[in-house]
Amino acid sequence: MRKLTGLERVLTALKLQEPDVVPHFERVAKKVREGILPGASEEDFVEYMDLDGIRFIDRTHSWSYETVDENKRIKRDQWGGLVRYTTEDNPVPIEPAIKSERDLDTYVLPDPDEEWRYEYLKQMVKRFKGERAIVVGVTDIFALGRENFLGDIGYFRAMVKNPDFINRANDILLNYQLRYMKNCIDLGTDIFWINGDWAMTEKPMVSREFTQRFLGPPFQKLVEYAHSRGVPCIKHTDGNIWPIYDIIIKAGADGLHPIDPMAGMDIGEAKAKFGDKVCLCGNVSCAFSLVSGTVEEVRQETKEVIRKAGKGGGLICMSSNSIHSGVKPENYVAMVKAIREFGQYPLSLD
Amino acid sequence: MVNLEELSQAVIAGDIDAASELTEKALATSVPASEILNKGLVPGLQKVGDLFEAGEYFLPELIVSGDAVSQALELLAPLLGKEDAPYMGKYLIGTVQGDVHDLGKNIVIMMLQGNGWEVTDLGVDVSSEEFCAAVDQGDFQILGMSSLLTMTMPNAASTIEALKMAGLRDKVKIMVGGAPTTPEWAEKIGADAHAKDGPTAAKVAAALRGKS
Repeated sequence: MRKLTGLERVLTALKLQEPDVVPHFERVAKKVREGILPGASEEDFVEYMDLDGIRFIDRTHSWSYETVDENKRIKRDQWGGLVRYTTEDNPVPIEPAIKSERDLDTYVLPDPDEEWRYEYLKQMVKRFKGERAIVVGVTDIFALGRENFLGDIGYFRAMVKNPDFINRANDILLNYQLRYMKNCIDLGTDIFWINGDWAMTEKPMVSREFTQRFLGPPFQKLVEYAHSRGVPCIKHTDGNIWPIYDIIIKAGADGLHPIDPMAGMDIGEAKAKFGDKVCLCGNVSCAFSLVSGTVEEVRQETKEVIRKAGKGGGLICMSSNSIHSGVKPENYVAMVKAIREFGQYPLSLD
Repeated sequence: MVNLEELSQAVIAGDIDAASELTEKALATSVPASEILNKGLVPGLQKVGDLFEAGEYFLPELIVSGDAVSQALELLAPLLGKEDAPYMGKYLIGTVQGDVHDLGKNIVIMMLQGNGWEVTDLGVDVSSEEFCAAVDQGDFQILGMSSLLTMTMPNAASTIEALKMAGLRDKVKIMVGGAPTTPEWAEKIGADAHAKDGPTAAKVAAALRGKS
């Protein structure tokens, strides 16, 4: 087989076919990048490591924030709620935008058509289009509603006590995200990464019935829109999704990340159960081996992931969440090398 | 006469109005507040915890049951002190530095409050210094630390070390929890106990106080 571009490699895997080699892309924390290629920008790093795609998230690259208290690092996000920046520079919601259903009556939606939101995407398209997959993060409607809009407690409470409140909130958020996706596709997005947890380590956050009723339908609308424009979608959710994975697949997800090993998700079992329906994206442990394992342990674990899930294609080998700042740089390099060592198709690992 | 079993059932069903009405009725018929708490609300919330552990209840059900208990507790609160009702104590809680997850911690808080604890929440991304200052200045029986990431688990250990250095370690019992944590790890870092989730945390906290 001829050598594919990174974009072709990822798209082939998402079509559940075998590319030339198992694809890989990842968001890599600055601290790890610095340990590998000091001083490099994220984009230079992607090129240096020859990653098959570049991924970024809406929360950090296209949402607006306004400082409320500089000393306490508190800002107001574009939805109207408050976030606090942590020592790792993550904006964590501390107060939701919507306190009661009445707030929705006068709610003013941020404008997804503001041009500045797409500056980074434009840069990525200019630099990587056609060569590497441009993977744009879209926060899932459930995650957006739960974390930023209504708050965890308010959202879960409304699911039981006032379902119409959830439906109204979902419609507002869908309006924004669909327009955001339209603009992203118009500018050259290759793949959407629909981000937001549906499960905890032990089990899904809400019952299967609620997952079908509240989480599935708005997710499906995002996927259906992307598909109508020919763009595939990867769904990210941590946690144990054994009881609900079929809802995600039925909604049309092309890829599923990260098949969370910390929640008891074995990628071999996932391959057997639904590897013929959705591309598996994962799952070298960024909780254990990439953080505290040896280079050889990472190499062996990566090989094992490919052995279990790579056969016939339909695997994008990645970490089990992200390359966060606790990952040893040498271990990330070991993972990438192992993917290229063991991921050549046809596989010969058994 | 109000049947306190009905009150438990209202909590289990997450029926806020019914829980409040039954609590009001019980008070009106001179049922002691401590009995309403211990024979109505607490057993209800414990059953909710059991259903959560058994996989029959999920976060929404936990929240609305917690709401039912909170509303009822507001009615009881002015009376509980007067009647010298059992009171579990003061609980200090936070998510360790570098970690931004608070959903699990918030569920723990709700379960603790429903079981008679007065909880002070330091929030997420709490440094060793902040934990030490709060322990020093407060009058807490238990400190709970949550960590959802392997990379932030060492910050729970370093907080315990900081408490030792400051001579504060013996002032509180320490509980730790969070997805990647284990009882073995808790013991290794010198914590007194481990809890894997909210319902378990309430049981473990009671045991640490000798009130289980």
